[in-house]
Amino acid sequence: MNEEVDGASPTEGVEQYAIGISFGNSNSSIAHLSADGKAEVIANEEGDRLIPSFLSYVDGEEFHGTQAKSQLVRNSRNTIGYFRDYLGKDFKSIDPTPCHSSAHPQENASTVAFSIQDTESETPNTVSVSEITTRHLRRLKQSASDFSGKAVTSAVIAIPTDASEAQTEALANAAENAQLNVLQFISEPIAALMAYDARGDHKDKLVVVADLGGNRSDIAVVASRGGMYSILATGHDYELGGVTLDQVLVDHFAKEFIKKHKIDPRDNERSLAKLKLEAEAVKKALSLSASATLSVESLAEGFDFRSTINRTRYELLAGKVFQSFTRLIEEAVKKADLDLLDIEEVILSGGTAHTPKIAQNLKSLFSEHTTVFAPSTSPTAINPGFLAATGAAIQASLIQEFEKEDIEQSTHPMVTVTPHIPNAIGIEIEAQEGTSSFEVVIPQDSAVPVRKTKVMQSLSDGEMVLRVCEGQRKIKTTKLEQRSKAETNGEEDSDEDSDVEDEEAVRERIWEAIKPLGEITAKVKKGLKVEVTVNVGADLSISITARELGAKTGVRGNIEKPEVTENGQA
Amino acid sequence: EDDGIPRVRFPPKPEGWKGDPGNPNFRALGTLSPPVMRKIEPAGPHFLAFARRKRHGRTFSEDER
Ligand SMILES: Nc1ncnc2c1ncn2[C@@H]1O[C@H](COP(=O)(O)OP(=O)(O)OP(=O)(O)O)[C@@H](O)[C@H]1O
Ligand SMILES: [Mg+2]
Repeated sequence: MNEEVDGASPTEGVEQYAIGISFGNSNSSIAHLSADGKAEVIANEEGDRLIPSFLSYVDGEEFHGTQAKSQLVRNSRNTIGYFRDYLGKDFKSIDPTPCHSSAHPQENASTVAFSIQDTESETPNTVSVSEITTRHLRRLKQSASDFSGKAVTSAVIAIPTDASEAQTEALANAAENAQLNVLQFISEPIAALMAYDARGDHKDKLVVVADLGGNRSDIAVVASRGGMYSILATGHDYELGGVTLDQVLVDHFAKEFIKKHKIDPRDNERSLAKLKLEAEAVKKALSLSASATLSVESLAEGFDFRSTINRTRYELLAGKVFQSFTRLIEEAVKKADLDLLDIEEVILSGGTAHTPKIAQNLKSLFSEHTTVFAPSTSPTAINPGFLAATGAAIQASLIQEFEKEDIEQSTHPMVTVTPHIPNAIGIEIEAQEGTSSFEVVIPQDSAVPVRKTKVMQSLSDGEMVLRVCEGQRKIKTTKLEQRSKAETNGEEDSDEDSDVEDEEAVRERIWEAIKPLGEITAKVKKGLKVEVTVNVGADLSISITARELGAKTGVRGNIEKPEVTENGQA
Repeated sequence: EDDGIPRVRFPPKPEGWKGDPGNPNFRALGTLSPPVMRKIEPAGPHFLAFARRKRHGRTFSEDER
């Protein structure tokens, strides 16, 4: 398809215009680079920057986004939503139990399809999930083209970290059928990280990206090294998200309604669909205000319903669900072999990240030095719903001029899979009273080749040794004085369900040198600023220089590459 | 004053310390531990620079030229 357009030489005169797309089961967003070079999320013709991933058909007319989603009540059978995760999957591998009011997934030639009346004819058509995706992407592409006045030809699409090859292939095909060339897929958490890093911060850090969506939650623990990202661990919960929270409110309001009218609105399909939509609106309102009111005309059997709930009540009802988010994140950090203290940034992404309590819980879970980027915990947070599309747009702008072959080669495992150093490299220093400590020059999990410089100011005077070592972070636990029995008596609500209730401990990160690599000697004056540069080659050989800050010359030394180990990795 | 520069105490040079042949102020003591193979996410400006270097077999300083 599109031989002429997609060929090596772009059609002359046609301006290449690439956008970033975030395509979720619940919502999608489109973003581009504005004239001033900043990535921005584009509003569609309805003014929405968060576009529900919904299509709905009324008498053959296609509705998209918010308009389509609102059809869930009156026209649920011809309304399709929550379909992304069906793409590229066997029908047998999905759980087709209807859990949403939208059109139910059906089996078609072993893949997933929907039976909908998408034309004026009364007889429904079987429309594959691939075709639905094509239609959805076509609308997104059209919105972006209308906004910018330029023809959108290509895109970078953000996808979950666990997307299979079959899924990305199916998505690429569906996009191609919408005359949209996918330049590259990038991981959603990486896109979110890029959206933040575009503000100019490329310092080395360990980051947790928690993407809390509608139907699912995805966690990624990422080492950011010199502006490059390696995913250390991921965690997923396919049954935890905004919909879980909607359900808490649906149940709450249903019970209120039952009290009044002895009717359960959840028993009727249409009442339930109404209640779900309104409960979601109440939930969103509770992210901003202390209370919110649900108001539904003719909820069930002709009865109108109005009920107010305050945030405290909601947080109590949803407490267990909120804890599940915290737990999922904690588990991912553990899976990465890290301690909560190691995490410097937590980026909350996805619509559910607007929930204040979720962010606050994380703020207390992590150390006080950890920044939790969410609207309620950081004044500089970016709208969590926009992060993935923003990052995808940044990537699109970086590669839109590249040849297809260039992109393919650069993203190939031959390039991306690369040796990372397992330990930090740095300088052993003296701590108090004969104990030693360690100053990191290159952090662990850095990909080679890597070169880093560190400046230190000397407190010592005379002929000194700068010992270059590998180092490791240890967690040091200092038990505080046991509190007296009398003091703890009668204290019923102790903080957590910890085993050792009477013992308080302070946990901190300390560094230890574990393996010497080389030594430099130099005459050092007290107060002198010493600049150490460590350069690790692709073959793992090391060269080191140490000099007075600003000086032209210094001491150099080389350390040979290690012998090849049995598994041939070194 | 917090200029981000750590104040550190280096250990003194022990008596009888000897450098490598031809390099009186340096001695090698060991080689780097075996690396772990990981994937770098192919995204962002720094990755693209990395990929360019790797594909062309260039070092940092060659790339800077
Ligand atoms: N202000 C808000 N407060 C609380 N929840 C919100 C807010 N805005 C959106 N949400 C919720 O976020 C969820 C959608 O998240 P997002 O847009 O990230 O979806 P998605 O990535 O398409 O989801 P998935 O693929 O998991 O279904 C919905 O449940 C929605 O109700
Ligand atoms: Mg999502």
